[in-house]
Amino acid sequence: MTIENVLLVSAALFALGAYGVVSRSSLITVIMSLELMFNGVVIAAVAFSRFTPSAALLSNDPITAEAIRSALTGHAFAIFIISVAAGEAALAFALVFAMFRARESIEITDASAMKH
Amino acid sequence: MEVSTLTNVAFWGASAMTLGFALIVVTQRDVFRAAIALAGSFLGVGILYFVLSAEFVGVVQILVYVGAISVLMAFAVMFIQDVTLGSRPVKGRLVGAAVAVLILAAVAFTAVNTDWATMDDITDPVAIAALTEGYVEIGTGDDATVAITAPEGTTQLVVENGGVLVDSTGALGVLLIREYVLAFEIIGLLLVATLIGGLLLMRNPGPDSEAAAEEKADADAEAAGSEASV
Repeated sequence: MTIENVLLVSAALFALGAYGVVSRSSLITVIMSLELMFNGVVIAAVAFSRFTPSAALLSNDPITAEAIRSALTGHAFAIFIISVAAGEAALAFALVFAMFRARESIEITDASAMKH
Repeated sequence: MEVSTLTNVAFWGASAMTLGFALIVVTQRDVFRAAIALAGSFLGVGILYFVLSAEFVGVVQILVYVGAISVLMAFAVMFIQDVTLGSRPVKGRLVGAAVAVLILAAVAFTAVNTDWATMDDITDPVAIAALTEGYVEIGTGDDATVAITAPEGTTQLVVENGGVLVDSTGALGVLLIREYVLAFEIIGLLLVATLIGGLLLMRNPGPDSEAAAEEKADADAEAAGSEASV
């Protein structure tokens, strides 16, 4: 397990999600693929936090508590991305429900107009 | 920094689980099966976080994704998906596959050809000891100094932990409410906005909506008809 391995897994998950977003006909599957892409990005953030030192730890200045905590910046990013993704998923499904109510369909080709 | 064989096995196992289930999600026609596979993929990512020494992020991943979002997906499928129709592949999927492969190739090229700094580059003994053996903070704010809890000079723990901060959960909590407190509050605001937006979109059509107005017109016409017959 090196940083290259983890980044490759992260990139593969992101690419699979990107393929899913453009290749499926159901809006629900498209949103699922979006979530896969989010997960790929978060894996990269955590991997950088795990394998690469922050600039504050590499400098010659005396080590402060802040510098030690900066090793966890990637984790903080991960938490924020997960929060935003959770909100996005909930709202996306509300939109899908609204579209289903208006059109009786959630096919992506039926969502070509912004207004019905 | 070398990691143990067990860690390697766990990493590749979790990776295979994540990518295998993700492949099912993007190729499965049955949307409900895709939702189940998605939960499996999220679980694999959660295990990956544990392998990467991000315990708190792993727990959050399992709570939020495996616990909440997967259930939301399953409910959405049960409510609105036309099961007989499923999720068909669309026409432009070959172009999509090409773009996905391009993205993968670009990121893989960058990841392999970049000379990443490693935890071995840290030379300060205080930093190494604080990361691998734990530390305590003395004082608050800008005056805070670091004290090492374990005696210095032992190099064994350094190798075993590979430069990973021990007890990352406590330090992450402090990080979130000190350095990132503004972002933390904004996330709270965002979640409230999401809640209100979701309620607004999902609420039953009120009395002023088109469907209700139509129904009322029908009822009026009927009433008028029955009056006329009398």
